[in-house]
Amino acid sequence: MFRNAAIAALALGFSISIGAQAALADVSLTAAGSTALLPLVKDAAGAYQTAHPDVKISVSGGGSGTGINQAAAKAIDIGDSDILAPTHPELVDHKVAVTGFAVVVNPDVTVKSLTKQQIQSIFDGTVTNWKQFGGQDQKIVVINRTLGSGTRVVFEKTVMAPDKLVDSGLTEDATGTVISVVKQTPGAISYAAFSGTHGQPVTELAIGGVAATEANVVTGKYPFWSYEHMFTNGPATPDVQKFIDYVSNATDLLNKNAFLKVGAMKVTETDR
Amino acid sequence: MDIMATPPRVLNSLASSSGVKARKFADRTATVVLWCMASSIILLLAAFIIYMFWIGARYLTPAFIFGLPAETSAGGGIGPEIYNSFYILILTLIFTVPIATAAGVYLQEYARPGRFRELVVFSAESLATVPSIVMGLFGLLVFVYLFKWKFTALGGALTLTLLNLPALMRVTQEALSSVPDSFREASMGIGATKWQTILRVVLPSAIGRMTTGIVLIAGRIFGETAALIFTAGLSVSTNSPYDINPFHTAETLAVHLWYTHTESIVPDVDRIGNGSALVLLIMVLVFNISARVGGRALSKRLTGRPS
Amino acid sequence: MIASIAQRAHRNERIALNVLRFAAYFVIFAMAVLLLYLAVEGTKTFFVDRFSLFSFLFSPTYDLDSNHPGAAIFIVGTLLVTVFAIAVGGPFGIAVGVFLSEIAPPRMALVLKPAIELMVGIPSVVYGWLGLVFLVPIIREHTSSASGFSLAGAGIVLAIMILPTVISLSEDAFTSLPQALREGSFALGATRFQTIVRVLLPSASTGLAVALILGIARAVGETLAIQLVIGNATAFPVNVFAPTATLTTVIVGQMPSATEGSLQEHALFSMAFLLLIIAMLLILVVRFALRKRS
Repeated sequence: MFRNAAIAALALGFSISIGAQAALADVSLTAAGSTALLPLVKDAAGAYQTAHPDVKISVSGGGSGTGINQAAAKAIDIGDSDILAPTHPELVDHKVAVTGFAVVVNPDVTVKSLTKQQIQSIFDGTVTNWKQFGGQDQKIVVINRTLGSGTRVVFEKTVMAPDKLVDSGLTEDATGTVISVVKQTPGAISYAAFSGTHGQPVTELAIGGVAATEANVVTGKYPFWSYEHMFTNGPATPDVQKFIDYVSNATDLLNKNAFLKVGAMKVTETDR
Repeated sequence: MDIMATPPRVLNSLASSSGVKARKFADRTATVVLWCMASSIILLLAAFIIYMFWIGARYLTPAFIFGLPAETSAGGGIGPEIYNSFYILILTLIFTVPIATAAGVYLQEYARPGRFRELVVFSAESLATVPSIVMGLFGLLVFVYLFKWKFTALGGALTLTLLNLPALMRVTQEALSSVPDSFREASMGIGATKWQTILRVVLPSAIGRMTTGIVLIAGRIFGETAALIFTAGLSVSTNSPYDINPFHTAETLAVHLWYTHTESIVPDVDRIGNGSALVLLIMVLVFNISARVGGRALSKRLTGRPS
Repeated sequence: MIASIAQRAHRNERIALNVLRFAAYFVIFAMAVLLLYLAVEGTKTFFVDRFSLFSFLFSPTYDLDSNHPGAAIFIVGTLLVTVFAIAVGGPFGIAVGVFLSEIAPPRMALVLKPAIELMVGIPSVVYGWLGLVFLVPIIREHTSSASGFSLAGAGIVLAIMILPTVISLSEDAFTSLPQALREGSFALGATRFQTIVRVLLPSASTGLAVALILGIARAVGETLAIQLVIGNATAFPVNVFAPTATLTTVIVGQMPSATEGSLQEHALFSMAFLLLIIAMLLILVVRFALRKRS
């Protein structure tokens, strides 16, 4: 018993001392939040760590709400988010990119374009069958995002408003799972960022005849877009700032993941 | 042959049942049905295992098992996650074994029946009923928010310690109770104190059963997920995937399996899912088998008895 | 010299006793802190945010925008999924327990018992994953469910997960019955089946009830296996093949993004506290039943 206790105490002390040393020696960053921004942050973290071997970056998803929440609680260094955080004045906003979002449907659905009003009528529960829009006689399977999703808030603001989203269907947590459920479920409809929808075996609907492309986002013709924010609790430390700057300037990574530079936008918005 | 042990109500109903043939038929049918049910469980388990090997075995390449997880593209591995599973397991055992063994020894050998003993037993049983997700939330509140540790292997291990204390206490108590009192009496008879008896006679005797129990619990810790999501985190760092520092973010294999299926953005979700599940299954099998074999071998070495 | 050896032994004895007692105190301390913390966080919804307990338990509207987190949908979800699991796994588990205790020859037991122990060892996330890759597509193809995510899927996965618990406790309940009961019954000419149904089952009823209650406790607390197959829909399921949500799945789904101090976070902790209360009540029932028997 004594021996075990002594060994345990020694091990703990040893570990704590290593921890202290490691914490002082290397730079360790954590980022979490939006699954729309996730591909870009993960690619950037990989490239950045290759260029700076003394830096450790951990990246995960969880949704914009998680990113904001954990940044506010100082559990992580960078909170990734598709939306602003007006209830957290202590968070400093760094806009790193612009992303478009698409309303996606299962490839079997024959409808390829819908107006805003038609989309609203699907998501507020009034229209339940594709045949009402000229499609097949097939039940519309609505898949929403969870409450913590920034994508959901952007959808509500830019496409649903002034109508309200009715949350009674399936909910999925992240960009990736939404895509996999939509592509497997006949008649399914949902919404996700370009980074998750471009090139996937799902159909990106045109909204009011405007196709879901970056070019249409830049001109503002396509309404479903938002800024991508990296929030820090207070001003960013130099190490964090370096990484944030890296992300917003990594042109080839931005293009690969279907993001736009903030400066490329021809229109601006202040509500997201 | 005590007919008096069978209640009168039952006697009457037995005496009044109709026809020997009908009763024999019912008996035979029931036996067949029960045999089918029992066999179906074995078949179900076998089917699970075969299915998992069938869809997962082809992915178990060295690149997968030892490779780093992919960021957004196909081809990632689970090396750091396996490392973290073991890391957290060992860390958890370092905390759980001393405390649980000590408490178990106290309850079994020392505590007199009374209010204090009842309180300890009740606390242990209550801890055992806490759902793992609730324990994970508690860990989030204490280690991530209150202590400000952020997501750490240590936070996860401490949360898992709380979760597994009752089980290990029970293992200790059962192992101790399996040691015959004659051992204790003989030891005290030659002048040893109670503590000396426990340390040098009773515990070594019980070690076989304790080892079996600990290894089985280790298997459960290895597969734990809900309590770790909010305490040990969901990611590993590519620059230091095999970190010794207990304050590192430590996504384990089980958490990775869940994470891949709820936050997946890699195109080869199936590959990672099937491969990870299979590795988890293999680890469980290994723990299960070594629990029995190891326990028996240790016992023979230390006491000459098989268990 | 002999006196100092004895002195040392006694001093060690006292130190050991204190260390052991400290460990016991730690267990009590851990439980007390846990209970306190969850009680404080879990009741903030009612004391700080002034949301009514009645609404929390019975209102089917879970709308955070209007500050109305009614948890009835999730409570009903937990209830339904547990009932489904016990309805399927309970009788099956008891039957196999009976089999193990009364009918199985030693060689069969040698295969079956390790199989059951292995089932206990399989992590719940693996069961959930199996449900996701195997069960969900089947439900999608063959039932009215459009996506395959359903209450039924979750119920089936859960039933399989509680089987080992119910089986081994049922078996214990039967093996602990005195042999005299069986012998008396056989002496009267009863078949084995009659003995089991009319003599043993009633006598083992307390033990079987305990087996079922502990199976229920396991089902109530399960999180990830359910979350992967139930669809997470904030709505009552219209039929057994419709998606829904439970207390545990909503907690794991929304806690990461719930801001500290918000109504949402308080509501989620209230749900966690509710889960804890349910689990503890079940254990108290078990203890009461066991005490009554002895």
